[in-house]
Amino acid sequence: MDFRRSDSADHPAERARSERLLDAARTGASGDVDPLARLLSAAAGPTRPGELAGEDAAVAAFRAARAAGPAAVAPPRRRRGLTTGVVAWIAGVAATATAGVAFAAVTIDRPTGPERPPRPSAPAPTSADDTPDRTGTPTGGTSSGGPSATPGPVPSTAAGSDRPGAPGGPAGTAQLTGLCRGYLAKPAAQREKALRTPAYADLVDAAGGAERVDAYCQGLVPEQSPAAVSPEPSRARPTPEVRPSRNG
Amino acid sequence: MTGELTEAVAAAQAGDEDAFRFLYRNLQPGLLRYLTALVGADAEDVASETWLQISRDLPSFTGGEFRAWTVTIARNRAMDHLRRQRRRPSLPVPVQALSELAGDADTAERAGETIGTESALALIATLPPREAEAVLLRAVIGLDAETAGRVLGKRPGAVRTAAHRGLRRLAAMLERQGSPRSAGGEERAVAPRPRRGRQAPDASRAEPADG
Repeated sequence: MDFRRSDSADHPAERARSERLLDAARTGASGDVDPLARLLSAAAGPTRPGELAGEDAAVAAFRAARAAGPAAVAPPRRRRGLTTGVVAWIAGVAATATAGVAFAAVTIDRPTGPERPPRPSAPAPTSADDTPDRTGTPTGGTSSGGPSATPGPVPSTAAGSDRPGAPGGPAGTAQLTGLCRGYLAKPAAQREKALRTPAYADLVDAAGGAERVDAYCQGLVPEQSPAAVSPEPSRARPTPEVRPSRNG
Repeated sequence: MTGELTEAVAAAQAGDEDAFRFLYRNLQPGLLRYLTALVGADAEDVASETWLQISRDLPSFTGGEFRAWTVTIARNRAMDHLRRQRRRPSLPVPVQALSELAGDADTAERAGETIGTESALALIATLPPREAEAVLLRAVIGLDAETAGRVLGKRPGAVRTAAHRGLRRLAAMLERQGSPRSAGGEERAVAPRPRRGRQAPDASRAEPADG
């Protein structure tokens, strides 16, 4: 690490140049002569074959989540009823049990705080410790059934095993359902291999062994349910651009 | 966030499957590339977990930079993954991925002029983790320094510094490639020499700039 000598290269002009290179990477200045610029734009280059291989599994998970947690979909939070508060409180306690105090503090903070702005355009979370866990898990469990049409009032609660503090924790039903759908969406030839990956460890645990996953999933995921509840695609999406889209 | 992405997020939150597909196609390549630098060959698995969680938590996304939200999820999943791996040492650590990457980097050297995506990512992956992460979040995911800082739990200035150092290291590698092999000072030109014959991932790799 010989950079102490050249810390003059941390000169503002040098740093500004780096910033420009980083900003330009995704605009695809392919004719650039600067090797570094070429390297960065290659790194940010168009989607390669295979990178989207998990698309169907992801969509299956999306359907499963829609089927499992309709309550979370309700956007307008007109007022906080007693039920909401209680659910949130329980979620908070559950979080305390499984995660750190810091996380719990954030969770519990919710119901007692001032009414949250109902929808996006809320000031973006700017605190340095912001994580999806904070915006994510608690809210999913606190919504008390709104104008959503989908059945099955299982909220995707704070019981998911996604907190860093509890990586091996028990997986929620919704998560298992999602895993099952992902699993069932795979070609038969790939299933066995998939079960050996950590992604499916929770599912294997829940099923009681890799060889039981098939039966377990058949029981958990009734075949016609996703189609029955998933709404029709309401509008066509534009063809995705080849490059991951640019940060505005 | 581009308006297109914002629209798609809202539509996906309302249940539009096509919108979700659009999000996936837009974001997955960047996520996968970033995750490859963090967990090597297991990146696809971790990406699957990431999309599971995105699907589940999408309704609770309340605005802000969606790309940052997803990449934070991806990063958390990667951390979990690395922790699990440490607990279950029987699972193969992505040594194989590293050697693949090394191969790619050599390919880049031979090719000289044209650097493909694979090789470019492989070179970036040889950087110290915090530099690699900063470079990838900025250049590949497309976050600005402030947003990348939020993802990493760092100040923007720290992200800029890490990315800047990473770029300088990359520039030195490229320079070394471009110059004739006989140029003696090769070993000194670039500080870390991680590319060839690395038998096991060093500890720093398994701990991507966690603080």
